[in-house]
Amino acid sequence: MTQKNRLQSGGRIDRSKSLTFTYNGKSYQGFQGDTLASAMLANGIDVIGRSFKYSRPRGIVAAGAEEPNAVMQLGATEATQVPNVRATQQELFNGLVSASTNGWPNVDTDLMGVVGKIGGKMMPPGFYYKTFMFPQSLWHTYEGVIRKAAGLGRSPLENDPDEYDTINQHCDVMIVGAGPAGLAAAQTAARAGARVIIADEQAEFGGSLLSSKELLDGKPATEWVNTVVEELAGYKDVMMLPRSTVNGYHDHNFLTIHQRCTDHIADKAPAGQVRQRMHRVRAKWVVLATGAHERPLVFSNNDVPGCMVAGAVSTYINRYGVVPGNDLVLMTTNDYGYQTALDWDDAGRKVVAIVDTRANPGGARVEAARKRGLNVITGSAVIEVQGSKRVSGVSVAPISADGKQVTGSVTKLSADTVASSGGWSPVIHLSCHTGSRPVWNDEIVGFLPGPTVQKQLTAGGINGKYDTAAALAEGLEAGQKAVSEIGLAASEVALPAAESVEEGAPMSLFHIPHLKSTSAAPKQFVDYQNDVTAAGIELACREGYESIEHVKRYTAMGFGTDQGKLGNINGMAIAANVLNQTIPDTGTTIFRPNYTPITFGAIAGRNCGELFDPERYTAMHKWHVEHGAKFEDVGQWKRPWYFPKAGESMQDALNRECKATRESVGILDASTLGKIDIQGKDAREFLGRVYTNAWAKLAVGKCRYGLMCGEDGMVFDDGVTSCLGENHFLMTTTSGGAARVLEWLELYHQTEWPEMEVYFNTVTDHWATMTISGPNSRKLLAELTDCDLANENFGFMDWKQTTVAGVPARVFRISFTGELSYEINVQANYGLHVWEKLFEHGEKYNLTPYGTESMHVLRAEKGFIIAGQDTDGSVHPYDLGMGWAVSQNKPFSFIGKRGMAREDCVRENRKQLVGLKTTDPKAVIPEGAQGVFDPKAPIPMPMVGHVTSSYWSENLGHSVAMGFVKGGLDRMGEKVYYPLADGTVIEAEICSPIFLDPKGERQNV
Amino acid sequence: MSDLNVMTPEEVAATKAAVMNQLPGAEIQGQSPLHHAELEVLAQKGPKQGGVHLKELKLLGHLMLRMNPENADQLAAVERVLGVGLPLQPLTSVENGNYSIRWMSPDEWLIIVPGAETFDIESKFRDEMGGHYSLVNSSGGSTVLKVSGDNVVEMLKKSVPVDLHDSEFPVGKVVSTVFAKSGAVVRRTGEKEFELVIRRSFADYIWLWIQDASREFGLVVEA
Repeated sequence: MTQKNRLQSGGRIDRSKSLTFTYNGKSYQGFQGDTLASAMLANGIDVIGRSFKYSRPRGIVAAGAEEPNAVMQLGATEATQVPNVRATQQELFNGLVSASTNGWPNVDTDLMGVVGKIGGKMMPPGFYYKTFMFPQSLWHTYEGVIRKAAGLGRSPLENDPDEYDTINQHCDVMIVGAGPAGLAAAQTAARAGARVIIADEQAEFGGSLLSSKELLDGKPATEWVNTVVEELAGYKDVMMLPRSTVNGYHDHNFLTIHQRCTDHIADKAPAGQVRQRMHRVRAKWVVLATGAHERPLVFSNNDVPGCMVAGAVSTYINRYGVVPGNDLVLMTTNDYGYQTALDWDDAGRKVVAIVDTRANPGGARVEAARKRGLNVITGSAVIEVQGSKRVSGVSVAPISADGKQVTGSVTKLSADTVASSGGWSPVIHLSCHTGSRPVWNDEIVGFLPGPTVQKQLTAGGINGKYDTAAALAEGLEAGQKAVSEIGLAASEVALPAAESVEEGAPMSLFHIPHLKSTSAAPKQFVDYQNDVTAAGIELACREGYESIEHVKRYTAMGFGTDQGKLGNINGMAIAANVLNQTIPDTGTTIFRPNYTPITFGAIAGRNCGELFDPERYTAMHKWHVEHGAKFEDVGQWKRPWYFPKAGESMQDALNRECKATRESVGILDASTLGKIDIQGKDAREFLGRVYTNAWAKLAVGKCRYGLMCGEDGMVFDDGVTSCLGENHFLMTTTSGGAARVLEWLELYHQTEWPEMEVYFNTVTDHWATMTISGPNSRKLLAELTDCDLANENFGFMDWKQTTVAGVPARVFRISFTGELSYEINVQANYGLHVWEKLFEHGEKYNLTPYGTESMHVLRAEKGFIIAGQDTDGSVHPYDLGMGWAVSQNKPFSFIGKRGMAREDCVRENRKQLVGLKTTDPKAVIPEGAQGVFDPKAPIPMPMVGHVTSSYWSENLGHSVAMGFVKGGLDRMGEKVYYPLADGTVIEAEICSPIFLDPKGERQNV
Repeated sequence: MSDLNVMTPEEVAATKAAVMNQLPGAEIQGQSPLHHAELEVLAQKGPKQGGVHLKELKLLGHLMLRMNPENADQLAAVERVLGVGLPLQPLTSVENGNYSIRWMSPDEWLIIVPGAETFDIESKFRDEMGGHYSLVNSSGGSTVLKVSGDNVVEMLKKSVPVDLHDSEFPVGKVVSTVFAKSGAVVRRTGEKEFELVIRRSFADYIWLWIQDASREFGLVVEA
């Protein structure tokens, strides 16, 4: 197919490099330098999608990030599907595969089109608001149909083969936008020696200069652009980021940039390259040189393909050598719009008419058009467009001076393209991200960036300075200001001379009147992407939605992926008119990050797959892997869960592990326990304040269990702390609580008791910890140490410094299984050595490795709690039946003492932790099950507490469980019932949680 | 020594802090946190050219000192033991031969020494330094990675949020910061050379991360 709209020469495309692409399954040609949009227009593709609500055919209207319609689905394979790509921003490459996202079943013969005619009436503004929010339960039903009809693109069903990453950047000056203002600012800052980052969303730097025929210093403006870019490339501390959209501007001059590294090369990134990169920038100063977007005018049927923003038409002609039609009607409220007619005329196609809404226009461009003999119709407007899949003609009529009424008869003109210009809107989005409210300016008929608390400067179009000379001057000024704020000497920069064009005053007009009332006239679109019409906004105002924020939500104006870049100001102006107030009185909605849609890949970066989250390993991890351990995540730790042998089920493995431990000896890798070294003469007193129990008399060589509570008196961690020296303790914490406990200790030391002489250090990773547990643990250890292990010399809750398997060790005789146990701690670099030696000697004792699950079973048989499983931040020590671990007589108070004495904490009938013995010994109550006293009570039954720990105990031949029961400690022997989801009920007797060896004889041998 | 009350004052003094030689005889080889990665094998078999070089400085002695930096007697004691004074300027480090000291926080320094000297130095501290301080051997809990090469800064920029430009991060500077989703003590030792002190349990994750972040530049493992 020929590129019927392509000019023979001109533009920044390379006609020698032909590229093939497909759109909706059909093959087309474009050139290197095209965007997907320019290539589509070159090929005469009019309809690129169907509208969201009314299913009307839609075409390309703009040439940049503001494009509302040409939102495409890209991807040659399932895995490389990307939704939400603006054709106007996607560079063409050979083999690009694109499809419309909305158009079901296809854009040219759309079934929804038929529905749409009725569907439109069925979906008035506020449709979502009124219909779908109620009843809420039906939303899921509606959603599927709406999404399909709305066509917001789709995500791939396969894994993305590409990689994305993130990089942190720092600079003195971050310049957003590489048009004339941004380039001048960058040159100024760079010459002064500043560290500069300049980012632009386009492939090439130059901004508006790329699309104009302007001269700078008498030469094409792009020559100046090239000179500056070359100069910038020579500075070590200047980073230039093309194809990089600054999408977010956050507090403290933190900006996020979405760089599309290879999206312009192929469907999939070349090997070894990331597809997209997220830059996270901290800038000392930010210069926003983001330019402006042209506003289209709002008139009847202004969405028919062929209706475009005037400046976009010029861009297609000048930059891409594409004239998107044959017969142009231009409607403008300002002089600048005339340029499009001049460009169209230069391209050799027919300008049917220039329709100027002003009665007496008279600037230089107006004169130029008249001189060429173009048909200039003044004081008039295009009030309606004819056509459905392409403009076929327009209705032009005179309008009143205030633009509110049609004042004369309609003339019909034949045309296939309608370009409109309602003036320009500064791109203030990033400025809004930081919370700054935009300020209306009557002179430029637009919103300007409001006051900011950021170290932020603005230059050029964002300030309403659209003239190149002014933009350059503002860029230089911003660059010098940033440089001087940073403390660098000003640089010498000579700006190129720009042509000055004399312009007449623009007319403030947004909504073109029609012969009929707005509600009766053919649709006048404000927000193309969400099908919001002028009538819809008027309806919203009539229904009482007066705040612009409410109008926005009621109509969904600006809710699309384009964030209403084209339509918002027009919408506000229409609302202001209906409400009979000014635009500044009406106010504006503000923009949030991100400026344009960004892929999930870029957000995730490398934090996926094996790098998704750190996996923490102990020194013995390799052994566990080699011995077939199944792992459990405990915080970020990978802990062995159980060690199944061939053919064993999980329960088989647990039964074997638990029995081996109780009958001979088992071994657990306990390295993940939090370990905190505490030194200082006040260490002991400090322990007394953070633990509930007493520490004053713990002697060197002794260990003690402690409970730690928050100020509210609720248990938050527990563990054994040992006295290593008179001023030296080793605290252990739960595996998941290590960091939190250390912070807790530092918090209290630094803020409450800084006078105490004590220091804390983590040694969690320093020590490898292995616990051998069971009646044969002494025999096993004796083979590897010279230490006297006799009970009278090394008793329960003692620790000794010794050597195990040749490695210096601290051995703690503490037990979490209730068996004779030794916890061996060696410097972690020797952990695996000692572990393997234990197995060399342990074979004859059937030394059995066990994981966290058997650890849980073994401790539950003994009624030992696990903080975080049997506690949930709402239970104090007395609720746990652990009042023995609270010392109310300490001279200084302790954290939680007052909390646990609060009225609610001492009332009757609190939920208390008890043992639960099922009547059917084989029944294992599911953890989390809720208990009731009367299983026949009507639903909802009064619930009396839940089960926290529940296991099958192979050693005891029955299940063991712990759980909370209201007033449970006074209900020993009573029954409690657990009704389950399947209708069955498990009956249990309330008992002591210590199911095995209640006197603790096994650990004391 | 089971009861405080029956200990002699000498015994009490001797046990105020428990110091122990934690190293076995030379016949038992220590296994550093990256032992399983077999860096020696990678150094032999892997590429010799690349933008990022990595070497584990393993099995060193890591001592964490916490004390009041305004205590002149203690500052003098440090100098007697290590031959160099503590870096008191935040985010700086000093070196003396095989010893290096990193400022960690206003009352905290990481002293890195040859592994075999750890106990000796710890004992000297206990002999030379009085008053309130803590000295903790954490040698098994961390390791040092030396990363260098033409692209080392780019690799680190993908990993840490701090500004690594030489104007902000000169040679000798030390920063404790997040490294990807873990943490590291980053110290610049040359224009294109840094040392990372990382925790044992996170070492494998950081090793994976560095391989990934270096891929576009090429990673050379040194033994």
